Amino acid sequence: MLDLALASFVVGLLALGLKRPFIWVLAYLYVDIVAPQKISYFLLASIPLSLVVFCAAFGGWLVADDKTDSRFTLRQGLLAVLLAYCAVTTLFADFPVEAAEKWGWVWKALVFAIFLPLTLRTRLRLEAAVLFMVLAAGSIVITGGIKTIVSGGGYNALHFFVQDNTGLYEGSIISCVAIAIVPLIFWLARHGTIFPRDWQVRTFALALVFACLLIPVGTQARTGLLCIALLGVLSLRSAKNRFVYLGALVLALLVAVPFLPKSFTDRMQTIENHQADQSASTRLAVWAWTLDYAKDHPFGGGFDSFRSNKLVIETRDAETSGNTTAVETSTITDQGRAFHSSYFEMLGEQGWPGLALWLWLQASGLWQMERLRARWRKRAAAPGAGPEAQWQAPLASALQQAQLIYLLGSAFVGIAYQPFILMLIGLQCGLWSYLKRGDTVPRRPAVVIPVAAP
Amino acid sequence: MVDYFAIGLTHLLMALAAWRLVLRGDLDREDAPAPEEPGA
Repeated sequence: MLDLALASFVVGLLALGLKRPFIWVLAYLYVDIVAPQKISYFLLASIPLSLVVFCAAFGGWLVADDKTDSRFTLRQGLLAVLLAYCAVTTLFADFPVEAAEKWGWVWKALVFAIFLPLTLRTRLRLEAAVLFMVLAAGSIVITGGIKTIVSGGGYNALHFFVQDNTGLYEGSIISCVAIAIVPLIFWLARHGTIFPRDWQVRTFALALVFACLLIPVGTQARTGLLCIALLGVLSLRSAKNRFVYLGALVLALLVAVPFLPKSFTDRMQTIENHQADQSASTRLAVWAWTLDYAKDHPFGGGFDSFRSNKLVIETRDAETSGNTTAVETSTITDQGRAFHSSYFEMLGEQGWPGLALWLWLQASGLWQMERLRARWRKRAAAPGAGPEAQWQAPLASALQQAQLIYLLGSAFVGIAYQPFILMLIGLQCGLWSYLKRGDTVPRRPAVVIPVAAP
Repeated sequence: MVDYFAIGLTHLLMALAAWRLVLRGDLDREDAPAPEEPGA
């Protein structure tokens, strides 16, 4: 039954694409995020769905779309260079078989991120892409949120409808992404035009944000808690009345804490005493190993180069009772541990040039969104500015906040090529190029100031 | 059950959004007649 419903949904989207080929781009966003072929057992599982939809999206753009407004931006160039660089390191990888496997999905995500901005030519398309990304991720988030309320969740205990720890279905990744989309949900609720901005949309948006905030509780990924804290700080920046906002935040926190499951508060307390925690100690050991590894392999070891690591980890558990502290030390050996950080993932796999490219890609996004935000806030506040000048700064701001949350979360999770985040980068490129294009065409006749002849 | 609810709700909204998008001229061209601002 579910198979049939999902298949008819996909077929329906593809059919609508016959009238408007851009719908195929949205279909690809959906397929890549939700992976309906993994939920389905036979109908969609039997065809290479992702490939079919990508071909439709690209073919539709190539054949039927107007390309006069499509621009290739610097950051798309960076993505292309990164793609080529990764191709080379894959050829010379330490572990050719495993590297080829990771390359198999990384190249698709990079190519799509390069392609996406070319299609985002209108405001409505930008909004539609944001909406589809939020709703597609929402299908996972809503399940997780409800299950957390019902069962309280648990580390690796929250079951989504796909059980293979890939894409967004992995606990730490969905915790980070769920928090990252919160600013985008608010933007859609305030500035969306596809659905009427009425009480129904506002209620749905609030419920979805609540579900997003529950995901780190449900998955008990500590990274998610840090992301929520950052979200709180970042939203202070766009809050109109900061004191009221801060008060509401503290109140919400005081109300929420007693409801948190004990297993969650216990786990979060290990952030403080991280030396006793094997997962945190392993991370520090892997990062130290990666720095050493990069000395011998400055150009990286290709995808999955972490497989050669052998770690000896010492954990210290300090227990204080009265004025005596008993320290228990134990040694664990471990090998082939993943990077557990996107920064070290880039360094270990692609070396210093790869890390530099990736950082440039991220930093330029933050900078571009900051510029757009500043410019359009000024325009929105200018006398005579209409409703058509109000959505740009908030969108740039939301995309920047989403990226900052990702950059914090990715310090502890290896998600450097996470397709969802690459789509966000694609959206940033699209917005930058769209607004820049508008700037080259004068919106009103220029005022000519007569200058007296000397 | 929860899975069906989440999948059902989000897919319904995506289907509705796709349908509304197809009907809007400004999806492909911004000089097309602007739609009425819903709820504005």
